[in-house]
Amino acid sequence: MKPLLIAGALLFCQAAFAHGPVFDCYIESDDLVKCEAGYTDGSSAAGRKIHVQDTSNKVLLEGSVDKDNSYTFQPPAGKYSVVFMGGDNHQATIQSSDISR
Amino acid sequence: MPIKRRLLQALAAVTLGCLTGAAQAHFQMLYVEETALPRADKLEFALVFTHPFSGGPTMTMDEPRAFSHISSHGGEKIDLRKYLRPVQWQSRDNQTTAYRASIPRELVRSLGDHIFVLEPEPYLETEEDAYIQQFTKLIVNVGGVPGNWAEPQGLPVEIQPLSKPYANWTGGVFRAVVLADGKPVPFAEIEIEYINHSVDIDKNAFGQQDYVTAPQASFKALSTYSDAQGIVTIGLPRAGWWGIAALDIGTTKTHKGKPLSQDAVLWVQARDMK
Repeated sequence: MKPLLIAGALLFCQAAFAHGPVFDCYIESDDLVKCEAGYTDGSSAAGRKIHVQDTSNKVLLEGSVDKDNSYTFQPPAGKYSVVFMGGDNHQATIQSSDISR
Repeated sequence: MPIKRRLLQALAAVTLGCLTGAAQAHFQMLYVEETALPRADKLEFALVFTHPFSGGPTMTMDEPRAFSHISSHGGEKIDLRKYLRPVQWQSRDNQTTAYRASIPRELVRSLGDHIFVLEPEPYLETEEDAYIQQFTKLIVNVGGVPGNWAEPQGLPVEIQPLSKPYANWTGGVFRAVVLADGKPVPFAEIEIEYINHSVDIDKNAFGQQDYVTAPQASFKALSTYSDAQGIVTIGLPRAGWWGIAALDIGTTKTHKGKPLSQDAVLWVQARDMK
């Protein structure tokens, strides 16, 4: 059993190092903004926090990634950014100027 | 004797030409410039039936029977035929009908794998009096999130990747399973060909310069077989596009009273480590 346990632990460590956050947002046909979050190893981002912030980093909206790895919101007026809080050192930010249809 | 010698020379030239021609493989190209996209963008497709290593001649395509997108979310299948438009494609040797498709960003903006499947109308190869139909797959990834790239798409014949077709370093190997009606095909005849020139998609043309020179005709289309489990393994010795074709593996063997070869094609893109 011992070799199996060690092998399992090694795989877990490898998986922990192998993934990075991926995040993108676009404007839907109803003018809502839909963001998709994920990781490069295919693991789910469901439940991770998303912040919509103004230019002074004031949090305007806070939500969670859905089971389908998305988060949809009504965009605020003016410039804003969307931050995917993907876990330790796994934060990704998109500026509203980079969000299109 | 000069006439006889000239005749012999002419005969030799024709024979050499035939040999060269026979060494070239027909390949259904399903081409985009880039398959690993950091962010989603609209996709410009070229659908050309050609001999990729030599840059031609190209064969006239009829309107494809199906051109589909399998989305990264839930595997929804979208018919893309409305985006197809016929164009006159300029190869090294000739100009023939091919197809272009401009796929809007909205269809491919989700993170993950986007699978494109082309089912062309069978092509009559008049020299052999037989039809060729190549079921062709191309997989585009957005953002680096893995998805359904390894899933078979239920085609009569297809190549199921065992490596990501869009994430390959030059010098690596690529593995796949040859399938007919969803079952592995052992010892299937495989041809591998490199797109040995640029593709100017805006001008509907192949570039005039070869990237590499084949030392002999058999290097233009490489040949191998799938193993006893139907698995094919190829090397990727140069950056760019590699086409894999599994020949005549379909169960449908005739079309309009003539022999039909149902082939499966998969395109693989390799990138230099730099």
